Amino acid sequence: MASEDCIRYSRPNLGFLKYKAALIFSPLILLLLYLLVGKYDLSFDSLELLLFSDSIDRTIFLNVRLPRAVEAIIFGACMGISGASLQTTLRNPLVSPYFLGISSGAAFGAALSMAIFGHKNFFLIQPSAILFALVAVSLTLGLSKFRGQFSPVSLVLSGMIISALFAGFLSLIQILVEPEKTQSIVAWMIGRLHTITWADVKVSAPLAIFGILGLLYFRWRIFVLSMGDEEARSLGINVERERLMIILLASIGTASVISVTGIIGWVCLIAPHITRFLVGSDPKVLLPASISVGSSFMLLADMISRTIWSFEIPVGVITTIIGAPLFLYLMRRAQNEWY
Amino acid sequence: MSGIEAVDLCFSYGKMMIVRQVSFELEAGEILTILGANGCGKTTLLKCLNMLLKPEGRVMVDNLDLRTLSSRDLAMLMGYVPQIHSPGFPYRVLDVAVSGRTPRLGFSIPSKNDYDLAREALCRVGVGHLADKFYTQISGGELKLVLIARALVQEPKVLLLDEPTSNLDFKNRVLVLKILQEISKEGISVIMSEHDPNLASLFSDKVLLMMNKGEIVSYGPSKEVLTSENIMKVYGLDIEVFEKEGARYIFPNLSG
Repeated sequence: MASEDCIRYSRPNLGFLKYKAALIFSPLILLLLYLLVGKYDLSFDSLELLLFSDSIDRTIFLNVRLPRAVEAIIFGACMGISGASLQTTLRNPLVSPYFLGISSGAAFGAALSMAIFGHKNFFLIQPSAILFALVAVSLTLGLSKFRGQFSPVSLVLSGMIISALFAGFLSLIQILVEPEKTQSIVAWMIGRLHTITWADVKVSAPLAIFGILGLLYFRWRIFVLSMGDEEARSLGINVERERLMIILLASIGTASVISVTGIIGWVCLIAPHITRFLVGSDPKVLLPASISVGSSFMLLADMISRTIWSFEIPVGVITTIIGAPLFLYLMRRAQNEWY
Repeated sequence: MSGIEAVDLCFSYGKMMIVRQVSFELEAGEILTILGANGCGKTTLLKCLNMLLKPEGRVMVDNLDLRTLSSRDLAMLMGYVPQIHSPGFPYRVLDVAVSGRTPRLGFSIPSKNDYDLAREALCRVGVGHLADKFYTQISGGELKLVLIARALVQEPKVLLLDEPTSNLDFKNRVLVLKILQEISKEGISVIMSEHDPNLASLFSDKVLLMMNKGEIVSYGPSKEVLTSENIMKVYGLDIEVFEKEGARYIFPNLSG
């Protein structure tokens, strides 16, 4: 066989370079826009004043807009890559971190903390939300383990059961506590970014970044895992252990960000699908790209939430209203490529 | 010895014994074909050989006991081509082929050299022109060839193939078996399951004939195993055997 000719015949795919540039620059451009647009107009002229004077501009810029933008980026990045990793690892384009019980676990944890310690004690709400999100994921993983093995289907089913269970507990808390606490529990559950301060960023960023970097590090193994259990094992992967690590990395990051933002829906499902639509399914490209798409999506959604009405609409409302129809559209476009 | 040796392999699902006391040895460079009726445990036996299932007894490759190896070390010794692969996401053929490098990569992503090896392997099995296509959009036979290329990229000592000729047309069957013969000449032991006794007799050095419930009817050099009595016993068919220029041809006798 003339293998020299054959090798020359098949060329590497170069079309993806322009996507690379777009993916790197789009969050940066959106960040710039994000920082300038808002109820209180900041302009480029005042950039010097902004950074070095003691004006109100500076306060708004540094202590209101900037932490909020940073949290939007971290949230989007973490949701994007976690969703993409889980979908690929579990060979199921319909999974997201929320499916494993993370969101309802976190909501329950936050509500419990507000019920016991009062709704103004933010320091206890976050750890409690993270703790119960991880409890929920662990229960999901434990339930889905059947004869010592995970199956993606039983994992998703267990996730639904655990979510339902924690949603039930949450309703119970809401019924039992005083009305004003119920109100703040509901407010917590609707995801928002307008309350974000540097303290929130400091609390949520380290674990989120740990999760993002960990998943990036695993991206080749994630690809091989998506070949199916037996094949991955015959290619030298310790399937059970590595899949567990990937699920935990995705869960820890996700739990950490939603512990300060509340439940902002759809980003972890829609961001991976937009990315898939743009760059294809190969995790080597999909995972880094989903970081960029996730953060761009969040910046855009939060810009809309800040500017579209005379008062702030929680960003979770916007992501759901954009996300659901967009998901339907992408699903119809990609119909023959999913199952 | 260099090659693979299986000693007293047994495996059961619950109380049902699927593989019963299988022993064989195969030198480097030889081809062993596992023949037997549907459901007699060929696939199970193959999965016992590369420890996807946990059998009793032991399997040695180059005098290493496979039970003591990590999955990564095992993957450097053995390649596996499954009977059916259900594609999850639309990946490029080249990416699928290069995943055979995984045991040698660890956590890093494949280098240009790895991609070159994958292209070479694809060309070698005759699907180099598909390298940049999506593997969800190629035919079942082409997919099989891609999976064989992936196993070759693993640079294994032993290659296991579960019905490598299923889903292939007449020409591609012969093509695949010829490629496997070539590969074996480079010092790789090839073990495959097969349905056609004629192809088994043409292409293999040794044959393992299995009955229901994993019982071995006969094992040895293909000429000694593929007799009309043995084949009749396994398939319950009336058989005629012809010899021509040293090769043996097996046909069902329909007149009786």
